[in-house]
Amino acid sequence: MLKGFTTILVKELKELMRDPKILVGMIVLPLIMFPVLGLVMGYAVQSAQEQAQKATLLVVDNDNGNWSTLFVRYVNNSMNAIILNQTTPQTAVAEGLLQHYNSTTLVEIPAGFSANLSRHSAGELNITGTINVYSVFSGAGSIFSGFGGAVVSSIATGFNRAVAPDVVSVYQSSIIKGQIQEGVDASVLSSLMLSQSIALPITIMIMLTYAMQIAATSVAMEKEEKTLETLLTVPVDRFAILMGKVSSTIIVAGVASITVLIGYNYMLGSITGGIAGNIGSSIDMVALGLVPSVWGYTLLGISLFFTLLSALALAVVMSAFSENVRGAQAMVGYIYPLIFLPAMALIYLDVTSMPLAVQAIFFAIPYSHPIIASKAVVTGDYLTVILGIVYVAAFTIVIMYAASRLFATEKILTAKFRFGKRGKAKEPSD
Amino acid sequence: MTLAVEASSLTKQFGQIKALDGVSFNINPGEIYGLIGPNGAGKTTTLRIICTLIKPTSGSINIFGQDATKQPEKTRQIISYLPEESGAYPNLTGWEYLEFMAKLQSTPETNIKAVIDEAAQICGLGDRLKDRAKTYSKGMKRRLLVARALMTRPKLAVLDEPASGLDVLHAYHIREIVKRYVKEHGVTVLLSSHNMLEVEYLCNRVALINKGKLVVEGEPKALKTRFNSENLEEVFAKVVGYA
Repeated sequence: MLKGFTTILVKELKELMRDPKILVGMIVLPLIMFPVLGLVMGYAVQSAQEQAQKATLLVVDNDNGNWSTLFVRYVNNSMNAIILNQTTPQTAVAEGLLQHYNSTTLVEIPAGFSANLSRHSAGELNITGTINVYSVFSGAGSIFSGFGGAVVSSIATGFNRAVAPDVVSVYQSSIIKGQIQEGVDASVLSSLMLSQSIALPITIMIMLTYAMQIAATSVAMEKEEKTLETLLTVPVDRFAILMGKVSSTIIVAGVASITVLIGYNYMLGSITGGIAGNIGSSIDMVALGLVPSVWGYTLLGISLFFTLLSALALAVVMSAFSENVRGAQAMVGYIYPLIFLPAMALIYLDVTSMPLAVQAIFFAIPYSHPIIASKAVVTGDYLTVILGIVYVAAFTIVIMYAASRLFATEKILTAKFRFGKRGKAKEPSD
Repeated sequence: MTLAVEASSLTKQFGQIKALDGVSFNINPGEIYGLIGPNGAGKTTTLRIICTLIKPTSGSINIFGQDATKQPEKTRQIISYLPEESGAYPNLTGWEYLEFMAKLQSTPETNIKAVIDEAAQICGLGDRLKDRAKTYSKGMKRRLLVARALMTRPKLAVLDEPASGLDVLHAYHIREIVKRYVKEHGVTVLLSSHNMLEVEYLCNRVALINKGKLVVEGEPKALKTRFNSENLEEVFAKVVGYA
């Protein structure tokens, strides 16, 4: 054993474990954050399953034969099926029947279905029946998109098992923004969108944490390098000092936002151009309208910018309560769960699929909004994005006001954050 | 004649701690006035109140007739503060640092270049001003900061331990700078120090602070005579009851 190694190790461990910031940041927060994330996702999966079981299935029976009646009866054992006659899927979608019956899946049993199955039963095994399934594609990045279509496929498999192997095949299509897209499987599309929607939240997460670290050092560095006191005695408005600090980070944030958008756009192009071939070669995202428009990109950029701004302002305020750079960086670490939690959860879930209380929490966290926006701009839900921008802007104004108040008083020099106690002014040593 | 500094019954409470307890003193224009006392006596708190960094719990402070508590912005236009533990921005060169501070302390009429040239002359760092501040020794950094504090010829320069932690030669250089600058430009200086010899050498008058109270004030020579002491260190020890 190296001489002194154990002594140094024990001393280092004591120092680290007695630092409450490290204890909270590295041990307590992960212990809370990941169970919370698990709870949210578990709840969302459970509620999606329950909804799927309770869901109404619209069945357009254009066959009206024995086999189609039998198939509908079989479907009715698992789901609540509503039979529509004398219509086509196109008409049903156009007339808004899915919304009317609060359904997301429509099944068409085409004419000739029973005749084909009868021929199959008579020994012509190469003749099979096909049902057409149309699933509403609700948006990007929800693992539950196309859930209804998957359930119908599973029912068809069960039907085949009961009657004859592969007697009924399923042809999947999607309903995107009110339009039927033939041959586009909603679950495949969902996988494709998920592969895209992973990248942006992770990039935003990294960018926010990195930018906050930089901003946190701006005031802390002044304290650590002992330049703050001098700066506060020059004949310059304190608000100008604050704005100078925040503005420099705004410029960095602006450049970062643009960089992210360029990278994101390039990534989308790569996926639709090449990588998509592995998952769904026939899917053209641009043709389906599932790539943000210029207006969508603009809104996403604004959302990113304001979120960064609010994060940076908050980091500046928090760093004012630290004596040095290390303390400031640990301090902003307390914000990270509010960045990580929405980023991780919203990769897999659509915020609207969550319970109302959880939705409220996610909407209240400013750092959720660019991630929500990244999905909303794909589906064209610009109102959600704009409301998010307004909310984050209002949050930023509040933070900036708090920061300006802090800079205007002696608290900028004397405020300290302490665990278990209120921050108290400290007598300078002289 | 308007007093340079008029401190009246200053008290400052930090939670349960009373850092200042009714401190009063006056400083005449063109004077070098020293605050001396042990650690925690209240020197830095007094200087911070004068420099508008903190507000007194009670009492008043006037700088050249201006109420520093009520008109901090105006007060900042005529003062310059050198904190005890002060630094320069490590990634700026000495020249850039002086330029940055000169711009912040200037008025539209100020000739920034002339101010920086003056600072360069005061600190005597020569070509090293082109190097980043992080490459400076402690003594060089302190010379840069003293030059920064004096370059704009403030009406009142507040210097907290100006030669703190410096070796004999650097400390000597800084004391010479302060003395010469006051003589040439009539700047009023308020300084605090642990170093009684430094205070005795530089100051026209001194005030001894102990436990937040001003215990005695006067010219160094007069205080030595009054307390029958050889130097200010002995005076201080006698005043606070250690001798």
